[in-house]
Amino acid sequence: MFGQLRMIITLIMIMGIAGAGMYVFKLRADNAVLKSNQLKLEQSIESQTKLLEQQKKDFDAILESNKKLNNLIQTFKQDLDDLDKRFNKKKRDVGKLAIARTKAIERIINKGAENAQRCVELASGAEHTEEELKATKRSEINPECPALANPGYVHYE
Amino acid sequence: MSKIIALVLIVFLTGCSIGGEKKIKIFSVEEPRQKLDYPMPTALELEQLKWIVITSANAEEVFKKMEEQGLDPVLFGLSDKDFELLAKNFAQIRQKLQETTNLLEEYKKYYETDENSN
Repeated sequence: MFGQLRMIITLIMIMGIAGAGMYVFKLRADNAVLKSNQLKLEQSIESQTKLLEQQKKDFDAILESNKKLNNLIQTFKQDLDDLDKRFNKKKRDVGKLAIARTKAIERIINKGAENAQRCVELASGAEHTEEELKATKRSEINPECPALANPGYVHYE
Repeated sequence: MSKIIALVLIVFLTGCSIGGEKKIKIFSVEEPRQKLDYPMPTALELEQLKWIVITSANAEEVFKKMEEQGLDPVLFGLSDKDFELLAKNFAQIRQKLQETTNLLEEYKKYYETDENSN
């Protein structure tokens, strides 16, 4: 009887120790999982922060690009208005002027064509010459496309 | 003796399973898309041409000069109004070319700089 009781107590003790051991192992495993989760969360936060920063940079770049293209379109409008003015300013009639001062108008037209041609070359990606870059006065600029040909020139009336 | 042999045999047969199978690790490495990297189109180099203004008063003189220069005495004409329109059309074509070139540059800058290439 006493022997059986001892055996039962011993069994209970062994089972208790084994259970405690298993519980410790479980806790260690849980701890490892939690550490790994923590690491993943930290990495996730870091990558999210990087993503947000990149998105902000992209957004700024898009805004700047839009602004640049809008400015360009504004200068196109200005150039076309200037061209129109050259033909029709103060009821100017190029035809009548050409009859009255044929040689002078021929010279002006040829100079204008040469300038316009240079504008096309620049628009297609040609490099600016030093004179074009340095030009700041109205007498130095290419009047067909000053915004494109002479970046240093500030338009004034 | 036979028990020992059986035990050793069992150990040899099950020995390979000790330590279990190795786990396969899968890595995912993000490979950035290859850059298109076309060079920008070559700039135009246009031929110089000469406009001749011809009126009823100077027509004879102009044709005579052309013959002297060895040119065929023929001109392809525009009225003053059409010349104006041609100049405006030319300006619009040039602006469109500039706009397209700028767009291309902006796209290149946005998608092909190191920061944004991924």
